[in-house]
Amino acid sequence: MDKAKFRSLGKSVLVLALIALCSGLLLGLVYRLTYVDPLLSTYERFAADTGASFSAMADEEGAAYGDGRVVYYALSDDGTVQAFLAEGGGGFGGTVQLYVYLRGGKIEKIAVGDHKETYLGRLEDAGFLQGFLGKDIASLDALATDGVAGATKSSNAVKSALDAVASYCGEHAPQGTVSARPAPGAGEAAAVRTSFAGGSGS
Amino acid sequence: MNKRKMKETLLGGLIRNNPTFVLVLGTCPTIAMTTTLFQAFAMGVATTFVLIFSNLFVSLLRGLIPDRVRIPCYIVIISTFVIIVQMVMQRFMPGLYSTMQAFIALIVVNCIILARAESYASCNPPLYSALDGVSMGLGFTAALCLIGVVREFLAGGSFAGMKIPGFPAMDGVGASAFGFIVFGCMMALFNFAMQKLRERRERMEASVLPLAGGAAEEVAE
Repeated sequence: MDKAKFRSLGKSVLVLALIALCSGLLLGLVYRLTYVDPLLSTYERFAADTGASFSAMADEEGAAYGDGRVVYYALSDDGTVQAFLAEGGGGFGGTVQLYVYLRGGKIEKIAVGDHKETYLGRLEDAGFLQGFLGKDIASLDALATDGVAGATKSSNAVKSALDAVASYCGEHAPQGTVSARPAPGAGEAAAVRTSFAGGSGS
Repeated sequence: MNKRKMKETLLGGLIRNNPTFVLVLGTCPTIAMTTTLFQAFAMGVATTFVLIFSNLFVSLLRGLIPDRVRIPCYIVIISTFVIIVQMVMQRFMPGLYSTMQAFIALIVVNCIILARAESYASCNPPLYSALDGVSMGLGFTAALCLIGVVREFLAGGSFAGMKIPGFPAMDGVGASAFGFIVFGCMMALFNFAMQKLRERRERMEASVLPLAGGAAEEVAE
């Protein structure tokens, strides 16, 4: 290879590598400055969405059901609200995260979390999520619900997430108890065992 | 520092070379993010931030970047600032980020940013390049907000989230197809107004020139 050409190529690679390195360092710094513990941010979101206080996560391990998964489950300190962070796969841009809140076994609120769906707005326009509100989680068959035309994959991801919550409730309700771990900085009062269905904890 | 050039740079992106209404760049976010005024404004601000810093860094490094790898270098610089915007929004505005996140990531491939890096920042000093970023960003934000106001009003009968009594929401008007119609109408209006202004200025210049000529002759006599 021509020496001048080789030198020019080497310079190009070096400059590109240097820019990429500086970019990585800058991003690393910003990441450190903006990092939030996912567990802590979930507590904050649960509290902001429901107005209830959550000091312990009843299940940090979660469970997978088909395309859906329950990531975190928590029971409010007063035992009235069950909060789930669930995610459903198979969306247009990957997984869709949902915050699902139950009161007395019925769906009280659903909020959308992280996602990369460009058509998720169509679900909101069509009132797709609102259609699930007030329904009993024990008899919910999310997968059998009609999707929204033009956002079929996004609908499927949402249905998978809701189905995961329903399956999780169905699986854990008869057993009764799941152990709770305290929230970061929540103090000792939170280290208790909570009842999944009844809310005898805290 | 050339004051005239600075003024031209600053006003260029806002009016004469408005990225949305004149250059017709970045139409994807223009249609997707203008269903409400708030979303349009947030998208405009995020894009402006990326434009300013990518222009600044491309200009600072323009003597260092070899020609054959300039596009990959520009993309690395642009995507760095887009990721910074994502991280900051996720940390401090999680609700807004949740609704906009797919489109924030797509700022990387927004034509306005790469076009300004390639056509302006790569051959102008850093200060002018940053000013061009400000100007283009403000022009883009203003255009998005104008379209957002019209679409939100027609689709929801509201302004900036506040319901206006007596104006009912119209079904289907919030759809992307109607967004294109609003975008087209506003582009036509903007260019019509610009053309009228240009014609008026030309008429004024034409009427002033003979007088100036006459005055010059008198002076000569």
